Amino acid sequence: MEREIGLTGIGGQGIQLAAQSLARGAAHEGRNVSLFGVYSGSMRGGRTDSSVVVADGPIDAPPLVSHLWSVIAMHDAFWLPTVEGRGVQAKLRTGSVVLRNSSTFDTDLDRDRFRVFDVAATEIALGLGNEMMGSMVMVGAFAGITGLLEVDSAIEGMRQSVPSHRKQHIERNEAAIRAGFDAVADRVLAAPAWSDDNEEVRA
Amino acid sequence: MTRRLMEGSEAIVEAAIAAGCRFFTGYPMTPFTEVLEHFSKRLPEVGGVCINAESELEAIGMTWGAAATGARAATGSVGQGLSLMQESIAEMALARVPIVVFNMSRGQSDYFQATRGGGHGDYRTIVLAPMDVSEAVELTQLAFHLADRWRNPVLVYGDFLIAHTSEAIDVQPIDFGPLPDKDWGIDGSTSGTGRSRMITSIGIGKAHSPTSGIIGHFEGIAPHLAAMQAAEARVETGFVDDADHIVVAFGTAGKFVRYVVGKMRADGVRVGYVRPITLWPFPEDAVARASEGKRAVMVFENSAGQLIDDVKISVLGRAPVIPIGGISTDASGFGVGDMYDAEVIRGRIEAVLAGQEVTS
Amino acid sequence: MTDAIVERPIVPTEHRPDRAAHEVGHKVAPLLLTEQSHFCPGCGEPIAARTILENLVELGVAGQSVAVLGIGCYTAMASSFDIDTVQALHGRAPSVATGVKRMKPDSIVFTLQGDGDMVNEGLQEVLHTAARGESVTAILLNNGVFGETGGHMTATSVLGQRTKNTIDGRDAEYHGYPIRIADLIAQLDGVAYVARGSVHSPGAIAKTKKMVHKALQMQVERKGFSFVEILTMCPTGWFIPTIEGPQYMDDTLGQVHTMGELEVRG
Repeated sequence: MEREIGLTGIGGQGIQLAAQSLARGAAHEGRNVSLFGVYSGSMRGGRTDSSVVVADGPIDAPPLVSHLWSVIAMHDAFWLPTVEGRGVQAKLRTGSVVLRNSSTFDTDLDRDRFRVFDVAATEIALGLGNEMMGSMVMVGAFAGITGLLEVDSAIEGMRQSVPSHRKQHIERNEAAIRAGFDAVADRVLAAPAWSDDNEEVRA
Repeated sequence: MTRRLMEGSEAIVEAAIAAGCRFFTGYPMTPFTEVLEHFSKRLPEVGGVCINAESELEAIGMTWGAAATGARAATGSVGQGLSLMQESIAEMALARVPIVVFNMSRGQSDYFQATRGGGHGDYRTIVLAPMDVSEAVELTQLAFHLADRWRNPVLVYGDFLIAHTSEAIDVQPIDFGPLPDKDWGIDGSTSGTGRSRMITSIGIGKAHSPTSGIIGHFEGIAPHLAAMQAAEARVETGFVDDADHIVVAFGTAGKFVRYVVGKMRADGVRVGYVRPITLWPFPEDAVARASEGKRAVMVFENSAGQLIDDVKISVLGRAPVIPIGGISTDASGFGVGDMYDAEVIRGRIEAVLAGQEVTS
Repeated sequence: MTDAIVERPIVPTEHRPDRAAHEVGHKVAPLLLTEQSHFCPGCGEPIAARTILENLVELGVAGQSVAVLGIGCYTAMASSFDIDTVQALHGRAPSVATGVKRMKPDSIVFTLQGDGDMVNEGLQEVLHTAARGESVTAILLNNGVFGETGGHMTATSVLGQRTKNTIDGRDAEYHGYPIRIADLIAQLDGVAYVARGSVHSPGAIAKTKKMVHKALQMQVERKGFSFVEILTMCPTGWFIPTIEGPQYMDDTLGQVHTMGELEVRG
């Protein structure tokens, strides 16, 4: 079984770190993973997308996936078509799981078509003292809602992904991941990644 | 087994080091840059040398010198940078200096450069085209083996997706079997003994050693090329035997095509694929066999049409050859365009099955 | 060989020869596989090469020496040198030498390039190699002309010099100015030794041999990049009688590319 997870947002929101944390966390659990990030030249404010494929066997899917089983949506700047591409929403199928950062994602979503979970990630991060850690909150929430990986694996993935010059952020990142996990305590495994009866209707 | 998430550039470097590569030099250019970065960090850790070349011209020259000592040496760039290296690559093939050159290409438009070469004279480079990071790890190591086996430059044809995709992998050395001693390697130790050695692209010999001379040097090229061509063609095929249609694609495009064909097969569509792993020697026999009795052979490549020439030469009229690729790139021009999408590719294949025109 | 008497020029000297002429003729340079060569009469390149070969032996490093040759008349020396040799492309010898030396740090690596090879085709190569402080010895054989193609202008041809493509003499306004490459290299950090010598007289040859000695010694002591430019006669490419080569060189190239040590470090 292969699961394709997209992450979308704008530069500075921590999209690439979140993607790497998921990928390394899943690899830590013995899964096969493939990760591909797209980001524009600027470090802050530009388009930043990432896709992670996690599988329990060898990965057949190319790194650029046509369809996303799930998406972590941090910002809606590149959700719909722009000059830079056809947008993330075009890659969703009926039943795709959308974790929406309700603090910074304004666009309305078709809740009949997608399984949408609102998480006020940036607000929660602000409560922890650093709004930059919204993507870490989302990683924790994603682990809770989908069970694609254990929350402890996500934390391990984050540890392995933080560059050496940012090691001082590890503890706060861990707190943010746990806060995200706790924030969806009422929705644990609401969209389980690895159950067979979860095969969504194809578009 | 200790798997680690590595981007393709890093995995290629680890594979090269596992294969014994101890010299690298290059000049930054996206998406080759990270290969240079990882080599510059890793080679000193294993007793090797990585030089930040001031130009691609100098990079290929330094690699020539390092490889002339018998060391496993490599360089690389993007197709643009490789254009600058062509004179040396051509002459190194003539001088029988084994090196590995990485082309982290922007798309697939360097197919002609890779397989025909932009240099002068009668030469060929073996060209290995991995479809993903895992295969790049294997083919990088094979490249060093083949370079030494044939004393010939070997090119690894990657791209932005291979350079920048991360996979959890464990790089282990692969044993491809024994190789002849590198008794030709230059180190100064035979100087003054009357048995000194020479590496030359123009066929001049030492006065003491009876060589075949310049005439023999050039006459020896064709048999060398023929021997490589006969021995080294590599290919992967899938669902070919009972297929009505075949799709040919290499590298990243090949990864997409085999995925799409797999999905279509699951839906009962009789389509198969041929994925050349060596672009030179081109797997002509495999393509010819696969095209036998088929309604059409499609070619999916990210260029205006280069691979298709070799497919036509191989198919030799057995079936119509139809292009379904095209130039597809991103806003930065790195060759990662909307055409690299399983649904888009499936749509193009289905259009051919339905007898429609395919526009890229 | 015939026994016919050949008229040879008499070189005036105030010194009594220390041995008979036929003995002089049999003093062969070391590290040669053959005495035969195809160099023109009056060519300075074999004399310059001899200063290298003798120094390699005298320094005791012959058995670890590697030659990297560019493309020019001197490339033919690859056949006669009993030295491990890599023939490089036109202009590219410094990079090739870099690769050899980095992989075999105990070898003594020298390059031989002409002015067309080094100063025209591969100018950046020698500058970058010098600035990197590569522990190699670069030797430039500078005769101010493409000798092998039959006498064409190079980047070191002096103003007024007649070549096949500056038939009325090199004109600054039309052809630009010559490059004094040794002066250029001497400005770079990473350089241990830079000198310009010549082989147009016995005294100059003796001085040049000492320069080459120092340059190779720098490499033995791993002090950095060393460079000796050697002005060599090319009467064929200069379109003058063989006997006039040394004087012509002194009067023309020697006035622009002046001899002496430009940088000594370490």
